Amino acid sequence: MDVLLTSPWIPAEWVRAHGLAAHGIWFAKSFEEEAQPLDTGVCAFAESTVRLARHHSGAAVVFTTACDQLRRGFDDLARQRSSALLFNLPATRSPAARQLYRAELERLGQFLRECGGLTPTPEMLQNELEQTDTARRRLRAAAENCPARRYAAAVAEFHGWGSEYRTGQLALPLPTPDPTPLTRPPFSNRIPLALIGSPLGEADWNLFDQVETAGGRVVLNATKTGEFSLCPTFEGWPTDPDSMLDTLVAGYFDHLVDVFQRPNEPLYNWLRPRLQSRHVRGIILWTFAGCDLWRAEMQTLRETFDLPVLLLEASAAAAVIPRDLTRLQAFLASLT
Amino acid sequence: MNSAPQKLSLCGWDARYDELRRLGLREPAYGGTLRRHLEGGRDFQLEHLQFDNSPAALRLWNFLLTENSRLHQARARGEKIVGAMKDLGTVPVLACALPGLRAFYPDGTWWTPCLMAGHDQLLPPARATGIDASFCPVRALLPAFLNGEQFPRPDLLLCSTGAICDDLSAIAQRLEHLGHPILWWEMPRRRPPYPGEKPCRLPGNLIAPQLQVDCVRIELRRIAAALGQLAGRTLNDEILTAGIQAANQVRRLLTALRNKVYTAPAAPLPALEMLLAEMLAIHFCSDHEETIALLGELLTVAQTRSQRSQFVIPASAIRVFWVNPVADLRAMNLLEELGGRICGSDFMFTHTLDLIPEDLPPLEALARTALADPMAGSTTERAQRIARDCRANGAEGVIISRISGASHCAREGGIIREEVQRTIGLPVIELEIPPEADAMLPALRTQLKELFKIARLRRT
Repeated sequence: MDVLLTSPWIPAEWVRAHGLAAHGIWFAKSFEEEAQPLDTGVCAFAESTVRLARHHSGAAVVFTTACDQLRRGFDDLARQRSSALLFNLPATRSPAARQLYRAELERLGQFLRECGGLTPTPEMLQNELEQTDTARRRLRAAAENCPARRYAAAVAEFHGWGSEYRTGQLALPLPTPDPTPLTRPPFSNRIPLALIGSPLGEADWNLFDQVETAGGRVVLNATKTGEFSLCPTFEGWPTDPDSMLDTLVAGYFDHLVDVFQRPNEPLYNWLRPRLQSRHVRGIILWTFAGCDLWRAEMQTLRETFDLPVLLLEASAAAAVIPRDLTRLQAFLASLT
Repeated sequence: MNSAPQKLSLCGWDARYDELRRLGLREPAYGGTLRRHLEGGRDFQLEHLQFDNSPAALRLWNFLLTENSRLHQARARGEKIVGAMKDLGTVPVLACALPGLRAFYPDGTWWTPCLMAGHDQLLPPARATGIDASFCPVRALLPAFLNGEQFPRPDLLLCSTGAICDDLSAIAQRLEHLGHPILWWEMPRRRPPYPGEKPCRLPGNLIAPQLQVDCVRIELRRIAAALGQLAGRTLNDEILTAGIQAANQVRRLLTALRNKVYTAPAAPLPALEMLLAEMLAIHFCSDHEETIALLGELLTVAQTRSQRSQFVIPASAIRVFWVNPVADLRAMNLLEELGGRICGSDFMFTHTLDLIPEDLPPLEALARTALADPMAGSTTERAQRIARDCRANGAEGVIISRISGASHCAREGGIIREEVQRTIGLPVIELEIPPEADAMLPALRTQLKELFKIARLRRT
């Protein structure tokens, strides 16, 4: 069975260790196709997620409590289908929150078994953790030098939408059907930008091209589907099969970086060195209409990093609209 | 001093106040004319509201409208001020148990733009802090913190997080970035126990896994330690037990008042005053003893009027259950002007109306009550309580008022409407009521009339 995950903080390794296929919902081919005219205040991402979950009745869907809109989207969905779970993703890092996260992983395991999953052995989990950690390490190492679009595709692959994942070849997270080399072409004359914010699905990847056409280049993809979705790590944790669940908790909970955290200082601590080392000169804040959590960070990003910030809002049509293209061009022009 | 119940304008209250004074009205220290709030350059909306004519209502309004100045006075006396955000009813129970602490909700600033009819200039500066009109009116708290002209800056600022609305979470985070440190505490999203999990009964006829209650209890212990440090005294079980008993005293009085007013054949008190009375349960408007006295006086008014069959709203009025607080208080007047009355409410804090268990260890009891927050659980569960209360109080229609920009309003209205219609078949309407609803009033009027028309047809 396919298990659609709505957050990178739900361990896909845990799903696969149960013998099920895990996919980040934001890269689903039909994700943007689900977009419809929105009711007042409804977040476009939450709405697309709910619609996609409704249409994929054969798949299990795991929502999270990371935002009000997804939480209430789940409420709506849960009235009509049972193969959906709302994972309580704590916002704080207190010991009680850590305990809650662990308990939620155990409950997720129970849910996966109800969906036809196997009971994972410690060895199966250990194997998944090792393979995924290796893949993440490779992706993180490639982040600085990989062209933005190519990198987004590689991360999408990692999150479970590539053919290799379909066929179970999990140890190869960076397939290269695309001949584009992983090293960045000499774009030294382009303005380095960071792209920060909500999930960026495949239909929106033309944004990378539009940035380049306008004279910039994305050197840091810190969208929810970009580099910071690769933060979990199991390095330094016991590899003893009996403590694999503890390792899973530590690898995710202790390295979680997201806007919904309270306080969300880890996000800024994660961004700071990367913005500096990659000489970023401007930030594009990418949000979905109705996403309060990212939208509220605009001014803080500007003040904290002393960088100009351009807000681009994902529309229902899931493409950068002409007006925004003009704003993007003007933004880049102001940075030259 | 008692006269036939009626509604008065602000001008009407001028004459009524003089009359009451001549008759020997005795007032608390914060008493005085209602008009003075207007003449002090504040609370302009008072000119457009209709008030109950009882001395208890005068006391209620004065109590509410002097909260900020009473907080400043408390600070001047050396008391410590605790700002609680979002949990609506939990932290104040802890804080008020300790002598020398006063808790209030900065979130309450959301009513200021309404009361001051925009003269407060709180919402435009919020935009300058990066929080624009796409957010809920609670954004008014940001400029209030920055200009320090509303409430005193708290000595300790707390905010529940996790299963809370995105607007408040985002705004509070922005506040922290602006240099106001916050002690955050985790509120899990309440859910039914999974097979094999130990269940725990909560107030409000709810159930949750014990591990969620444990999480909240551990978090509340952290909060209790911080409050104890601020007060210079350990918040132990004995002190907290007394605090819970004091909170329950308020809840019992409020329950009696709601029962009396909402189930009476006609309404002995108006909807607007009842809305304010319900708000008192959240943090006792920064004065627990005065809240008890005030609720007692309101209850006496309701009982006396009922005994004498003197009502402010007639028995023919359509009985309406109201969901969510209104940003523009005039909506409550309008409802009654058009022939409705309130017979029940869910102003987003029903967990603050339920008694805190007194037969449990106090932190466990408070944790269970906190987790019963209607906004922390599923909307369907909230809708089920609404349906139960509608049935119990004989509601003829349900009004869900949307709060402009609020993240929870985007979907909850539809779910509540479907659940209420499915289970009890009542007509339901959704209204959007912004802080200054002038432009919306004609549309609101039409929607309310339509609801009442349908409800009247159902009577026949």
